[in-house]
Amino acid sequence: MPRDPFKKGCEEFRSIRRPTLNPEMSRRQVLLSGLGLGLSLYGTKAMTLERVLESAQAQAAAAPEAPILVNVFLPGGCDLLSTLTPLWKVGPLSDVRRTLGSVETPPLGSTGLGLHASLSEGLDGGVRGLFDAGKIGFLPGIDYANPDLSHFNSRGFWETGIVSPKTGPGWLGRWLDVAGAADNPLQGLTLGGGLSPTLVSAKAPVASLGSPRDARLQFAGTWGTGAEKAAEAWARLADAAPSSLPGPASSARAARLARTVAERLAPYAQQGDGPDPLAPPIAYPEDNDLGTKLSRAAALLALPLGVRIVTVEADGDYDTHDDQPGELATALSGLSQALAAFQADIEMRGIAHRVLTFVWSEFGRRVESNESQGTDHGAGGIAWVQGLRARSGVLTDYPDIGALDDHGNLAVTVDFRRVYASLLEGWLGTPADAVLPGAASFGRVQLVA
Amino acid sequence: MAGNTRTWTEAHVRRLFWRAGFGPTPREVEHWTRAGRERTIAYVVHGPRGGASLLGARPTVRGRPIDPLNEYGHDVLWWLDRMVRSTWPLQEKLTLFWHDHFATRDQDTPLMLRQNRMLRTYGMGSFQRLLRQVTRDPAMQLFLSLADSHKESPNENYGRELMELFTLGDGYTERDIREASRALTGWRVSRRDGQVSGTWFDRERHDEGAKAILGQRGRFGTEDVLRIVVERPRHAPFLVTKLWDFFVSEPIDAASKRELVRTYRRSGLRILPVVEGILRHRALYARLDAPDMVKSPLVYLAGILRMTRKPIANDSFTWLLANMGQVPFRPPSVAGWDWGPTWMTSGTIRARLDAANMLIGWGRPAVLEVPDEAGKPDLTPTQQVDLALSALGDPWISAATRNILTNVAAHYFDDLTKPWQQDEEKVARAAMLQRTLRNLLLSGPDAHLH
Repeated sequence: MPRDPFKKGCEEFRSIRRPTLNPEMSRRQVLLSGLGLGLSLYGTKAMTLERVLESAQAQAAAAPEAPILVNVFLPGGCDLLSTLTPLWKVGPLSDVRRTLGSVETPPLGSTGLGLHASLSEGLDGGVRGLFDAGKIGFLPGIDYANPDLSHFNSRGFWETGIVSPKTGPGWLGRWLDVAGAADNPLQGLTLGGGLSPTLVSAKAPVASLGSPRDARLQFAGTWGTGAEKAAEAWARLADAAPSSLPGPASSARAARLARTVAERLAPYAQQGDGPDPLAPPIAYPEDNDLGTKLSRAAALLALPLGVRIVTVEADGDYDTHDDQPGELATALSGLSQALAAFQADIEMRGIAHRVLTFVWSEFGRRVESNESQGTDHGAGGIAWVQGLRARSGVLTDYPDIGALDDHGNLAVTVDFRRVYASLLEGWLGTPADAVLPGAASFGRVQLVA
Repeated sequence: MAGNTRTWTEAHVRRLFWRAGFGPTPREVEHWTRAGRERTIAYVVHGPRGGASLLGARPTVRGRPIDPLNEYGHDVLWWLDRMVRSTWPLQEKLTLFWHDHFATRDQDTPLMLRQNRMLRTYGMGSFQRLLRQVTRDPAMQLFLSLADSHKESPNENYGRELMELFTLGDGYTERDIREASRALTGWRVSRRDGQVSGTWFDRERHDEGAKAILGQRGRFGTEDVLRIVVERPRHAPFLVTKLWDFFVSEPIDAASKRELVRTYRRSGLRILPVVEGILRHRALYARLDAPDMVKSPLVYLAGILRMTRKPIANDSFTWLLANMGQVPFRPPSVAGWDWGPTWMTSGTIRARLDAANMLIGWGRPAVLEVPDEAGKPDLTPTQQVDLALSALGDPWISAATRNILTNVAAHYFDDLTKPWQQDEEKVARAAMLQRTLRNLLLSGPDAHLH
């Protein structure tokens, strides 16, 4: 019978929970202790907190305080006007959006804007609560000149940071090419199925990950030395016959990365029905994929794995051609709960000062509504930065409802590349012109306090 | 090396059967190599006389037949089974192409299956007829908000994708989309017993006014829009290139594009003549000794089962396909899937390894299981590798892969001490070696190329 392939790791995992840590710990043990710290927030009895804190200090000293960017994509084109509403224009807006009915957008502090009621859902008042606590800077009117209203074109522009039909590496992949490590695929991590196009790089290794629960490479019906030989053979096949053709190269590269990811994450994988080493210290919303991904992200960010960029795609469909009142409320509610839980999680883990979250969507929506209680593709969307060090407030000019373009769309008040350039320089600490073509021409907006 | 169009070898047959379908069985390779180029291409393109049928017994999952309408995830199994057992694989491959091209999701299963049947029926004939069916299809109309698009406020969703993704790709303006959307107003869905049963055209809701679309003016309706877009000079090169990229890894060259555009137009915008032109093209047979196109997850999975003549025996395939990144009936968006090298990531290759594991040992049942007592410790390393290959229907592997696997076989028993080597422990270890070799053949880097 196949033996439990996790057995070895499992025993080692348990051993660090006993008060017998060797002061001269291997790197692997240090990693495991960092994990223990996460668990200790539950008040695990079997662990000597003093020891764990000691090793955590050693670990903190070893790991640089490198800033981390979490990139959250709202697919479909989120509607600015219903999400962050200009309360001084509610009258004229309800005239052109009569099919949407009235949207509940309680006032947001003294900004004169109202925030969609669903964004109050979640821990401590959700996204609204984060704004009130000074942790969010909104960027209304974000887009680019002569906006392309195709999802795919516009999304591609945002993903690459280049307004051009050519495809190529993503803007964050290019940043890793410039500033990342040559040997750590976890530095750029997509949580969820495939790799986010924003993270596609020219040379820096990056990775996508469903869940570290299943990171280890296993071969059915093999165990002991037989299983080891299978894993060795996988590594040799992955390294053999490098090809310059894209297809074979992608296949071999995926095999190599799968092995590297497996090695790095094996210590954190859940052992059978044992405790989940990456369990979050706070309750995340249930049945919320974005929440699950962000909880995993928070746990991994708290470990010295060198993660610099995380990308996730939100659930929910922001492409609200039909039934916008219902669809948008559902989507924003899930988003608000997930983001609030994530922020509380990383604060509790003590890493929030290193993390800035950027939330974006590929365009905004038409000012006038359609007959299906929805809105068509438009311009002038919404994005925001979130975090302890995010500059709070409304950071860009709100588009003037009275001055629409020829197509009945909002005017663009901030180019998304200005925001990218500002994230690169103000947060990641890299000159923007090394990553974004023409960076000098976009100006900057202060995003970090 | 470029494929010589005169010679016809086993490698040619393998390439054609993979690209036009889901891989050949060893018997098919043998038979069609002898039959020669013309007969093989004619068979692949036009299918068996009397049309497609399904080979072998109907599969059962948990003791019951696949039930696409009532069991969660069985819609996926139902179509995968057709890919595995159809006697006309090109028909399924083109249905998959159209499902990607006219990507639809999030609709009730009966509507998705109805659309699937429609794509299979119309997917090889006239593009214009296919487009007309797609435009009237209830799942599509609901997905892209064409149903209920009203003259008072036309919904632009369908009009935009019609031009951008379905027919032209480029060369139109926002104004063309608005005007086309006006011409497309008036569609509604009909319901029976609370379920959507079809679509109908409600003249009252249609914008009867004059429209200017892509340089033409008139009181246009749906049929006019569909005619105007496919008559644009851009349409033929757009569609021909999309079909080419589905079958061939190299980008299309200008001369081949001109030739296929001519074929398409002369045939009255028929699909199969273009596909046949591509399947005959020498570019399809390039690098026969080193395949360079990445199999999509469905092609990968259906290919394993087809080559080994194994049935779908459990329902794991649905979540395995999700982890690999391709669940039929649930494309990621209206743009369909990203094909090519982007299929392969650290996560998706893991999912393919899980699929191999499921087939070899984890599945209930595991159709490619190797019992402990089936080990053959007396085979030479080369024979061990050949045994594993033949158990999987002789898939292609590179010389480097063969070397590595032979080396694995040569050293697989090294740690067994003498007394162990005579008894059943060694037989069991030989079975483990076969599991290892077959797993690596199914999930290692070569397995994903065709």
